[in-house]
Amino acid sequence: MGAIITLCILGMVVLYLGLFKAKNALLPVTLLGLVVTLGFLVAGWNSEALPQFHGMVIFDRLALSFSILCVVITGLVILLSKEYFKNISTYLSEYFCLIIFSLTGALLVNAYHNFAMLFIGIEVMSVALYILVGIRKTDLASNEAALKYFLMGAFSTGFLLFGITLLYGASGTFDLTELQAYVQTSSEISPLFYGGVLLLLCGLCFKVGAAPFHFWTPDVYDGAPILITSFMSTVVKVASFVGFLRLFSTVLVPLHDFWTPVLLTIIIITLFVGNITALLQSSFKRMMAYSSISHAGYMLFAIVSVGATSASGMLVYATAYSLASVIAFGMLILVKRSTGSENFESFNGLAKKQPLLAFILTVAMLSLAGIPLTAGFMGKFMMFNNVMGIYNITLLILAVINAAIGVYYYLHVVVNMYFRKPEEEVTEQHVPTSYKVVLVIAAVLTLIIGVYPDSILLFFFP
Amino acid sequence: MSLFYFVAFVAIFFALMTIFTKNPVHSVLYLVVTFFTLTVHYILLNAQFLAVVNFIVYMGAIMVLFLFVLMLLNLNGDTEPMKSNLVKVIGVIAGMCLFATLLGAFRVIEPSNEIVTGNTDIGLVKHLGNVLFNEFLLPFEISAILLLIAMIGAVLLAKKEVKEIKKA
Repeated sequence: MGAIITLCILGMVVLYLGLFKAKNALLPVTLLGLVVTLGFLVAGWNSEALPQFHGMVIFDRLALSFSILCVVITGLVILLSKEYFKNISTYLSEYFCLIIFSLTGALLVNAYHNFAMLFIGIEVMSVALYILVGIRKTDLASNEAALKYFLMGAFSTGFLLFGITLLYGASGTFDLTELQAYVQTSSEISPLFYGGVLLLLCGLCFKVGAAPFHFWTPDVYDGAPILITSFMSTVVKVASFVGFLRLFSTVLVPLHDFWTPVLLTIIIITLFVGNITALLQSSFKRMMAYSSISHAGYMLFAIVSVGATSASGMLVYATAYSLASVIAFGMLILVKRSTGSENFESFNGLAKKQPLLAFILTVAMLSLAGIPLTAGFMGKFMMFNNVMGIYNITLLILAVINAAIGVYYYLHVVVNMYFRKPEEEVTEQHVPTSYKVVLVIAAVLTLIIGVYPDSILLFFFP
Repeated sequence: MSLFYFVAFVAIFFALMTIFTKNPVHSVLYLVVTFFTLTVHYILLNAQFLAVVNFIVYMGAIMVLFLFVLMLLNLNGDTEPMKSNLVKVIGVIAGMCLFATLLGAFRVIEPSNEIVTGNTDIGLVKHLGNVLFNEFLLPFEISAILLLIAMIGAVLLAKKEVKEIKKA
């Protein structure tokens, strides 16, 4: 709980810093606040997890581990953003403040224990993002993305609320423990409950961007400023997945005969739509948007095979995916700044000019594709292992086919960097130190988790 | 009970009129009437606070805002975009599926169900305040953050960028 209070206060402090024009203090104060938040999260590690505030939130291992991941990723994004946002908007403090509040929402979604908190958390997280997506006011694509995201988000929240209402109508409670008791003990589950589960599933699939509810994702990810896209596709997506997982693993396990076929259909559609459309893209940013849809499909594996190991599998997968996304989007910013384009061709010949950066991007792409020795491989391995546990061979074969398709378009960038010559000579360009630091940290973490995955697993789930 | 059925009929009738009318301004006006019938429902349920809020905020503020925006945009029946028949058919099928699912879910509701009837005094302001400041204190406080975000966003998006003025 200390973490959430810290973040709320931090957001307001940052706003005041903006009021007093203390531009240079923004970054240190924000980072300090994030470190304090991290401290609170780590300090709560060994204490017994009980629902707090009349059962509103619970900071158990699941919530704490994913919250730590969210805070770290936000820290990396914020390190990148000062350089980036100078060119977009003069309102740097408001931008920092909104990101921090969005992170607060993500933490609440990670730790909810009552549907009221789930709803408020999702709203806090998304409303801040609606604004951030449209922060580039003169850019039509950004405006369109913001409007689309807002309309779709409001629409999906409607589904979510309707689902929650129906569950309440059946069981008379918003509390997860009481809902669990209802599902386990009641002699006959009311049809209202089933309807509620379906609507909740729709609402949550909208939030994580799984097909067939994915139509907003490519346009929004494409139109938003690159760093906001990286924040959206990592922190927000991970938090939505934790909300998903917590609901299904605590309450809905006894009903799995009912929702497994629905979820399986969603997963298969998501994998194919994401991967095949990503194959056809010529813009790197749009390719990342579609690839994030396909990764949502892989992460849903943890929910369809929900059990004791699904949380750890999802943690490794989410960590790998988030780190690789941060690297990819960070590199895209650098490349776009020097060539002015987001297409694959703008990566041509990068290996000669910036060998280190090209190597880091290669690591990220291999991790996204799931090649051994990178974190992405461990993530995919654990997810597939979970699915093996429920003996669903068809799903596994389809997933492997999709992973193979994924390798092709991820390696497209790598081939362009190493084996293509740039069309025109671009002058050597200075890379800011903060970018180098963030990219190297993310790449090293990716490799460490890939080579020695126990480092993260033993730490989080001993 | 007969009052309920009458109000429910009026609500559904005007909700349908909202969709079927061609003129956007009329559509919004029908929506206002629909909200009014919902307010009557809340009063029938003894949820006075909700009724007042629905009346003032939704009917009063939001719908009038809607109406203003529509008038500024100068929409009328002619400018309505044509949608292809395929989309219409798909829409009807999807809508009917949703309708069937919900109908299936709702068929069990009986008025004697204790969860449905519940505590009839819960909608009074006094009880609502008790619940908000006891059980639901945390969501209530976090809503403050939500409102702050919305305020920042409104100011941020509406304000002119200083840099551009200099350029111009």
